[in-house]
Amino acid sequence: MAQVPVQTIHRDPQLFYWILIPITLVMILTGVLRHYATVLMASAPKRQDMPTLREQRSLMRGINLRANANAISPASFQARKDYLVNAYESGAFLKEPEKKGQGAPNPMTDPAAMEGMMGMMKGNMAMIVPQTLIMGWINAFFSGFVIIRLPFPLTIKFKSMLQAGVATRDMDPQWMSSISWYVLCIFGLQSVFNYLLGSDNAASQMAQQMGSMGPGAGAQMFGPGVDPDKQFQGEAENLAVLAHQYTLEGVEDRILNTVRV
Amino acid sequence: MTSSLLHPPAHLPPNVALQLSQQAPTLLQSTPSAISPYSLSSLWSAAESAELWMTYENLMLSCLRTGDEQSAHQCLERLTARFGADNERLMALRGLFQEAVATDDAALKQVLEEYDTILKKDSSNIPITKRRIALLKSLKKTTEAITALNQFLDSSPSDAEAWAELADLYASQGMYPQSIFALEEVLLITPYAWNIHARLGEILYMAAISGEAGSEKYLAESIRRFCRSIELCDDYLRGYYGLKLTTARLLTGRSQPSRQAKSDSALATPDSKTLERLNETATAKLSEIVRRSVAGEAGWEGFTKSEVIAAKALLETDAVKISR
Repeated sequence: MAQVPVQTIHRDPQLFYWILIPITLVMILTGVLRHYATVLMASAPKRQDMPTLREQRSLMRGINLRANANAISPASFQARKDYLVNAYESGAFLKEPEKKGQGAPNPMTDPAAMEGMMGMMKGNMAMIVPQTLIMGWINAFFSGFVIIRLPFPLTIKFKSMLQAGVATRDMDPQWMSSISWYVLCIFGLQSVFNYLLGSDNAASQMAQQMGSMGPGAGAQMFGPGVDPDKQFQGEAENLAVLAHQYTLEGVEDRILNTVRV
Repeated sequence: MTSSLLHPPAHLPPNVALQLSQQAPTLLQSTPSAISPYSLSSLWSAAESAELWMTYENLMLSCLRTGDEQSAHQCLERLTARFGADNERLMALRGLFQEAVATDDAALKQVLEEYDTILKKDSSNIPITKRRIALLKSLKKTTEAITALNQFLDSSPSDAEAWAELADLYASQGMYPQSIFALEEVLLITPYAWNIHARLGEILYMAAISGEAGSEKYLAESIRRFCRSIELCDDYLRGYYGLKLTTARLLTGRSQPSRQAKSDSALATPDSKTLERLNETATAKLSEIVRRSVAGEAGWEGFTKSEVIAAKALLETDAVKISR
């Protein structure tokens, strides 16, 4: 059985001190810096003024009524339904009643919407700018170095992942280039940041990516570009066709059947 | 030790509140006096947690309750140092502190004026709006409080706390239909809150015995509310108490079989047989609860002492009536 000779490369031990450690250190420090930069740049959640709040909460009231109508008597439900449907259709709860029926405002011209986008931009910038700078720095100074040898064998497929920037065909995939080390650092320092900055830190990019996925359905509902009048009309229709059932109907028999003394 | 400090201390019994506030000096000493979010030291010291600030807030409320104003002030100072004086919640807390240390009505009125100036500048300050309503209530200006609450609820109708408060205020004024309406709003927000169901039953009962029109309808609905509260929460003492009271009243008042023409929307009153069985069940359950909780059996300790005593009294009056 032919033994594959172990590839040996004589490296200057100084490579270890002057490339591996600096890259790791710089990555950690930028992570910490990014965390504090994000904390500093974060704009406080914007306060909503009373008319906006009224608009949203009045809609919530209709939704609550629709969902939990069973808890109240048919007469009470009818009274509330009549009132809410009427008010929704006439636009009594709208923030700007005179703008009823004009459609949703363009989110690009709405300053409130712009502010939200700016916040997102700022977060993304805090990710992109340092990443670009460090990548450039590593490319300029450390490209082409093979710095460590992983202590376990790997298949050939890993070559492109671990030896980025080193264009040698015959080198064992165990050897790792500096740029690959950098990429590994980006993804692998998560737990270090958790340890240093607490688990809800801004340095980890996983959180960043999750954040940009969309802040949830709540923001969608009242987000920019949604016409509140349309929402009100839809809710009025939902309420108008709702069939009401009273939970208290026959509750005394249910109790008598279930309670055993 | 501090786990009970993480919940708002509104319903703590007095002895627990006293115990908590007696821990205040040690607790205040053991925690660092200032935590800045940007300092380098936060890299190696323990990170600040939301629990800490919650503890401070609840500790302050407990201290105010037991008269330890010094510790309360210290809590307030630390919260202010962290969140700034113009934080809405802190403004309300500071107002609460000032109300607590005020000695007479004149001082309270001054606090009220402060609230008014704050609200004039920024009318969307919800904590201060609520504080102002509470202060109006404690100054016995109930009608003004009701007006302010109605205004607040117009712009924020999904606030269960405010609706419940409004229901209490209306009930204190004897305006039961309004109070019932407000409690129904609370139920629309929290449909499974058995205490609200029982509370609504109580208000319905009060409306029925106050001699308003359609008292039988109120009583019937009251019975059903209590049934629902029991359905949602087994062995709910308040529910059984109310059930016993309402069924007994309906049974004794049922001498005249005047079956007035009922409107279709309301449910019919349960027939006498059902009422009697409900009454029996409630009586049996109440005596079981009283017996077991007085004996201190395992699993039966959670009942409020005063409620158990009231239930016992109700059962005793019942027993006297029977023996006669």
